[in-house]
Amino acid sequence: MAVFAAIVAVLGLPGGFTIFGAVPITAQTLGVMLAGAILGPWLGALSMTVLLTLVAVGLPLLAGGRGGIGVFLGPSAGYALGWIAGALVIGLIVHARNRKPTSPNTLLGVVVGGILVVYAVGIPVQSAVTRLPLAETALTSMVFLPGDLVKAALTTVIVTTLVRGYPRAFRRTWEAASPNRDRVLTR
Amino acid sequence: MLSLYLPGDGVLHRMPPGPKILTLLALVLGVSLLPAAWWAACAAAAMCVIAYAVAGLGDGAVGMRQFGRQVFAIRWIAGLTIVGQLIFLGPEPAVANTARVCAAIIIAALLVLTTRVTTLLDTLERALRPLEFVRLDPQRAALLLTVTITTVPVLAGLARQVREAQRARGSSGGLRTFAVPFLVMALKHADELGDALAARGVG
Repeated sequence: MAVFAAIVAVLGLPGGFTIFGAVPITAQTLGVMLAGAILGPWLGALSMTVLLTLVAVGLPLLAGGRGGIGVFLGPSAGYALGWIAGALVIGLIVHARNRKPTSPNTLLGVVVGGILVVYAVGIPVQSAVTRLPLAETALTSMVFLPGDLVKAALTTVIVTTLVRGYPRAFRRTWEAASPNRDRVLTR
Repeated sequence: MLSLYLPGDGVLHRMPPGPKILTLLALVLGVSLLPAAWWAACAAAAMCVIAYAVAGLGDGAVGMRQFGRQVFAIRWIAGLTIVGQLIFLGPEPAVANTARVCAAIIIAALLVLTTRVTTLLDTLERALRPLEFVRLDPQRAALLLTVTITTVPVLAGLARQVREAQRARGSSGGLRTFAVPFLVMALKHADELGDALAARGVG
């Protein structure tokens, strides 16, 4: 229930800070990474589905005020759809075995889910839409890689800060990683 | 409410949403299947212009003012596409492919320009109805979408608040120092919203 609303909150992120200071940073993919890492796999994917549905019915929620069904016909359609799978994979990795998110784990999750998965869906679609062969399309997409890596690092920092400062955000309880538990298990 | 909708009473405005979506989809599909040749590029461009002219957008220039705005809005997509294609494929396929992609996006934009978001959400709710038997409640889905729409401006306000607080303390602030307080505030808002909905029996 409350989680439903939380999805909404995280969804609002992209609209919230597309332009930061004088430098326009599209924080949209940052929002995708955070959704997966904070909400977990299913709610993260659901929140992305909600966002994309709203974009499809014509709300200008994508970076630069883009919106409308046309987004899903253009070259970047696959990247947008990749967000759903990306958030899912991020959630699965970051919250694997229901453990508290750690820096290395979060970084792994956002790089695999937020970059690899999103590109894996996005590049073939872009290639199909623009009829540019796959390898060349992949090469042109590398322009976005540095920015996405920065965002992955940023997500990791934010998530670990939240784990310490506002654990309620994650809406889940972690089993304490105490040595006792291991002993119980081996017994 | 934020939206791309443009009030008017042209042909497309008066068309019911279902048939309108199907018509525009057919047009877009037609454009997408054009081959990579010079004549196809011209055909794609012509179809766009005709579609905007016929739509009756009432902007005092036979839809051309809106058409221009849409072209301007996708300048980055167009630029990125054509540069990549020019390098790898040569001029004819590059121009044709770019024209095709842009035409599809521009024609599809007619849907949101001529249909209210609420109308589209209602249509979506109706379209989701068959999914009831897989335990997807279309009304809940519609509520989720509506709540999201109303939350966006609230969160934009929170974001502004955080930024102003930072400026008041004299820090220009990076994305990191902004994101953490903003997330905490947004998630608190989410909790309150959840409580309010639960108190009203939605949950």
